[in-house]
Amino acid sequence: MTDDGITIEVNGKSLPARKGQMLIEVTDANGIYVPRFCYHKKLTVAANCRMCLVEVEKAPKPVPACATPVMNGMKVFTRSPLAVEAQKSVMEFLLINHPLDCPICDQGGECELQDLAMGYGRDVSRYQERKRVVGDRDIGPLVQTEMTRCIHCTRCVRFGEEIAGLRELGATGRGEHTLIGTYVEKAMESELSGNVIDLCPVGALTSKPFRFSARTWEMRQMSGIAPHDGIGSNLHFHVKGQTVKRVVPAENESINEVWLSDRDRFSYEGLYSDDRLSTPMVKQGEEWREVDWMTAFEVIKDRLGLILNAGGPERIGALAAPTSTTEELYLLQKLMRGLGSNNIDHRLRQTDFGDDTEAPIFPWLGQSIVELEQLDAALLIGGNVRKQQPLLNHRLRKAAGKGAAIMAVNPVDYEFNYPLAARIVAGPGQIPAALAGIVQALLEAGRTLPDPSAAALLNGIQADANHRAIADRLLKAGKAAVLLGDLAMNLPGLPAVRYLSGIIAAMTGARFGYAGTAANGSGAWLAGAVPHRLPGGQPSPHAGLNARAMLERRLSAYVLLNVEPEFDCHDPVGARNALGGAQCVIAITAYRTSAMNFYADVLLPAAIYAENEGSFINVEGREQRFGAAVRPQGEARPAWKILRVLGESFCPGAFNLDDIEAVHAAIHADMQGIEPRNLDAWLRPDSLPWVNGALQRLTEVPIYSGDPLVRRARSLQRTHDAGDGMAHIAPGDAGRQGITNGDRILLKQGGETAELPAVIDARLPEGTLLLQAGNPACFGLGPETGEIEIGRA
Amino acid sequence: MPEIRNMTVNFGPQHPAAHGVLRLVLEMDGEVIVRADPHIGLLHRGTEKLAESKPFNQSIGYLDRTDYISMMCNEHAYVLAIEKLLGIAPPKRAQYIRVMFAEITRILNHAFWLAAHALDCGAMTVFLYAFREREDLLDCYEAVSGTRMHATYFRPGGVYRDLPERMPQYQASRWLSEKDAAARNADRQGSLLDFIEAFTQRFPAYIDEYETLLTDNRIWKQRTVGIGVVSPERAIALGFTGCMLRGSGVEWDLRKKQPYEVYPELDFDIPVGKEGDCYDRYLVHIEELRQSNRIIKQCVDWLRANPGPVMIDDHKFSPPQREKMKGDMESLIHHFKLFTEGYCVPEGEVYVPIEHPKGEFGVYLISDGANKPYRIKIRSSAFTHLSGINDLVEGHMLADVVAVLSTLDIVFGEVDR
Amino acid sequence: MVMQAIRNYLKSLFLLEMLKGLLLTNRYLFKRKITVQYPEEKTPQSNRFRGLHALRRYPNGEERCIACKLCEAVCPAVAITIESEMRADGSRRTTRYDIDLAKCIYCGFCEESCPVDSIVMTRIFEYHGEKKEDLIMTKQRLLEVGDRNEAQIAADRAQDARYR
Repeated sequence: MTDDGITIEVNGKSLPARKGQMLIEVTDANGIYVPRFCYHKKLTVAANCRMCLVEVEKAPKPVPACATPVMNGMKVFTRSPLAVEAQKSVMEFLLINHPLDCPICDQGGECELQDLAMGYGRDVSRYQERKRVVGDRDIGPLVQTEMTRCIHCTRCVRFGEEIAGLRELGATGRGEHTLIGTYVEKAMESELSGNVIDLCPVGALTSKPFRFSARTWEMRQMSGIAPHDGIGSNLHFHVKGQTVKRVVPAENESINEVWLSDRDRFSYEGLYSDDRLSTPMVKQGEEWREVDWMTAFEVIKDRLGLILNAGGPERIGALAAPTSTTEELYLLQKLMRGLGSNNIDHRLRQTDFGDDTEAPIFPWLGQSIVELEQLDAALLIGGNVRKQQPLLNHRLRKAAGKGAAIMAVNPVDYEFNYPLAARIVAGPGQIPAALAGIVQALLEAGRTLPDPSAAALLNGIQADANHRAIADRLLKAGKAAVLLGDLAMNLPGLPAVRYLSGIIAAMTGARFGYAGTAANGSGAWLAGAVPHRLPGGQPSPHAGLNARAMLERRLSAYVLLNVEPEFDCHDPVGARNALGGAQCVIAITAYRTSAMNFYADVLLPAAIYAENEGSFINVEGREQRFGAAVRPQGEARPAWKILRVLGESFCPGAFNLDDIEAVHAAIHADMQGIEPRNLDAWLRPDSLPWVNGALQRLTEVPIYSGDPLVRRARSLQRTHDAGDGMAHIAPGDAGRQGITNGDRILLKQGGETAELPAVIDARLPEGTLLLQAGNPACFGLGPETGEIEIGRA
Repeated sequence: MPEIRNMTVNFGPQHPAAHGVLRLVLEMDGEVIVRADPHIGLLHRGTEKLAESKPFNQSIGYLDRTDYISMMCNEHAYVLAIEKLLGIAPPKRAQYIRVMFAEITRILNHAFWLAAHALDCGAMTVFLYAFREREDLLDCYEAVSGTRMHATYFRPGGVYRDLPERMPQYQASRWLSEKDAAARNADRQGSLLDFIEAFTQRFPAYIDEYETLLTDNRIWKQRTVGIGVVSPERAIALGFTGCMLRGSGVEWDLRKKQPYEVYPELDFDIPVGKEGDCYDRYLVHIEELRQSNRIIKQCVDWLRANPGPVMIDDHKFSPPQREKMKGDMESLIHHFKLFTEGYCVPEGEVYVPIEHPKGEFGVYLISDGANKPYRIKIRSSAFTHLSGINDLVEGHMLADVVAVLSTLDIVFGEVDR
Repeated sequence: MVMQAIRNYLKSLFLLEMLKGLLLTNRYLFKRKITVQYPEEKTPQSNRFRGLHALRRYPNGEERCIACKLCEAVCPAVAITIESEMRADGSRRTTRYDIDLAKCIYCGFCEESCPVDSIVMTRIFEYHGEKKEDLIMTKQRLLEVGDRNEAQIAADRAQDARYR
């Protein structure tokens, strides 16, 4: 027991407690249940539902357990006649205005109000008068409101203020006229908004996509891992029959606590998209034919065999989505390397592979997710952490709440749900210069360069106030981190960004880390799904082609694993042309797209997400395994099985891996003794990337367009974050061209043109045009970065 | 010398006198039984295991289907076991209704037993007469619960609905003249209680008719006297209960020895036999018919005089009235929760036996505090009685096996469960 | 003792107990028959009778069922299968409501649980199926049964209202 340890007595049992704890925390920790509605362990105490009234000896009245600090020797009775009477009375009042909705309410069966009414309430009502009725507000496509059912516990309001960082929901009015809702009718914009569904103890806030589709008692709860960001949030699938009906968070204090981002919560809808591929298909001439698995494998063997004989294995390349499991990526690289080709990559959007050889074993966060909370300062470089990695951002927000300085160097002035201590908004080409400015400021502050030759890069770089502020906060911080976001990884000039970020980290003693990877970006590196590294990060004797080179070199055959190159690649149109020109394209995919009809030759239906089994490795290097929650649809099979059979047909004997355990064991044999580390000697670029004054295109992936699954989640696509399909222009550039909001403008890039409506976006630095990936209108434009011209249409 | 081997005869499972799906393997020395080996399990439906996967109330209907000749009595034991664990007692009126229907069920069972027993021994007429009485009693079942057999009428805390004030009546038609219809409806003019009372008035005369046909009948006596004799000691040793035990002269009846519900308030006698043969057991059954009739009469009188609730007024266990459920929040929540999850039963274990028409029918219930039984074991008398068949038929002729089998009063729903 | 033995002997000799029995059956030979000539003639049926299921409608033609699934939850035999969704007007409705008569044990819990008196058990007991599918009552068929028998269903429930 620590110094502030005290002892209290609850129902005659003496319990250890710490000073400052609330009574309900002590009873919860000791398995004594006190009924509650408004209390939630992750939110502040409101004590407005009064359900947790208990009797305390010598207290004149019952006291709320959630707002009563423990005192040494305090005697508490949770089920004494006085406490029971108090709880009963509170329950009666709560039910006075509750509508008789149980039969049509989605919360029925998992409703805290029902449970507590059964456990602590009266069994017959004495209330005869009229009940209150409240109108509903439409707060977006994800959360359904039924505000008459609200009991004003204000959990959702406190969630908005304390967790989401947006005061979206609030209480207006008093007494019986209290209403919870958005102050003006609007949709919730928080990327964590779905959590209010779990928080709401009654049926006032429920899931809109799930609405009326199942009851709790019909569903089985299966565990899973979120497949969208590198955090690996733990979740539960609620499965009815063989259908995932909804997704809820599974508690894991070291990863997602009790929260889940909207993307992870609602992406399951993509499982039931109309374009799911259900049988293997083979293209013969222009005709697509459904075939059985064995036929498909034979066709693949014949066609790849021809290419192997004619052009050799180097003419075959594999592109894998970083949302694939470690097992799938491992088997794919084993297949490719078994064939004799090192052409495998998962970095589909990366443009600059200049410092590949120096890359870490995997892009590590540099610390555990929990440690982010304890930072005193953090510098984010090139990334929209709030939207792309909501639960990493949540940890940073917690740190900011404790006074940490969170700073950002971004090509777009992304919004954060906490105040930034400093920010630099620099166009995609100017980020290295901005970082060099910070280095300069650090030199001014008396730090020395860890790599003296870096001085050459700093010629002509001047530190301004912003640079100095960032340098200052990083230097003052006890624990600091420099985090590289996903946007930075895909910019040209990545080596310079990486080099300078590393130098900043070294000069300030900050930890260097990567904040943004896809679900299994770490796993892809470790499984060897990169051209120059074998599994376990061993350098490959012969480096193959990276993703960009594979498409530029126009190989003869491609194997695609869960990839839709028209959306997922750096140069969609280039990818389409390269694939279209290849002799054989084998797509292992869950979906059949019209583009695939054009370029693919064999389509193999793969299980995805809840139907799949395997493991993900998250940004902190934590491996999490998951099993299938439902059976794959139609003839689809987990891709590891497909790859195993494919491998066996080309390299007999090498793929003797009968179950997922065997694959897993094989990977682990290769990963023995790997320690995550990031700060190696970085490759120093010869000069800072030079950018002329031309307008630069920047492409962001809208958060609900990152992978095939989430692109098909219907409800998410109706939210604000789904991307607006417009060309975002900096105010200065727009003024120069005389463009106003809504004007249609003509975009010219690499000889191709496209027409889009324009929107003036004050977040952008001058000289930057922001487009959104996956927008069909700018599909023909070419690579996602580079020079672009605009004109009025 | 040629080797002499006993012949083995398969009796059942399709034999009409096997009372269901009993397969009896008989080792015969000529016409004499050397050994009888019952093979059971052909009607096993896993009732006890199924109950573990359902909230308590949902298994009431399955208990009906254990001994499907004495439906409400099975429910009775189950419901009493739950009530004992919950620590609740139903209103007095519900207890009287339950006891009345338990005794109606006893008459139903004994009438069926008598009919089948007589038929097995060659007396067809008794079968027809006994079924005439059963018809009236099944009408009582239907009037109160809506079904003629699997009533699902008893509930923890009482019974589902009070006795109806009106009985359905025959309608005159082309096939039934007004006069005949009126005659048939003579007893159906009043409430269910009037109907039952009218039955109790005429039933003793019907019992006399059965006795006229059987008791002194020489063929009946030849088939039953001295057949399947069990000594009192042996009957106790074999675990016999009910008429099988009382026929041997042991005065043992749970309604008297471990009274439950309102039996202590009722006046009735326990008949016992002397010889322990089939004939004595027949006489015991006949007397029990008369005693049950007596009990029913007393119940009717009490129920007439004492209207009141038939269900416990605690909606943590019993769903509220429909009218209330539709208009009040607490009631709706309790209705919703009771029909989806049911109620939780405190941790503990109980064994509740009742005097079932066939003997001691007990429900052994273990609850781990959940809304479903952790384990339930049904102690059925028929299983025990069938186990003793070798003792009863050894040394008898093949034809006596039939008489002994039917005297056992076995029902396979209960043996195999 | 001797007299008793003689009496017994005579009783036995003249088949007295047999004659008594025959006399009894003979009496019934001339009594009014109680046989019910099914199917032309039916026995009276209780208004609580639990026969074939039906789904009811409100007088305006709107189906009562709101897909609350209490009946599905309470069904001991798992005979009821319901699928639900939001109808275009925003109300909670079933898209599928199947009762497998081969599974049903006719306990009546579905009717007891229904908060809107939608699923009911009618007096119909004469029905059959020639194929297994015939014994699966779909929503359409259940509604038809309800529509055909609404008058009787409503009258039976009204008569029993105070007991429920």
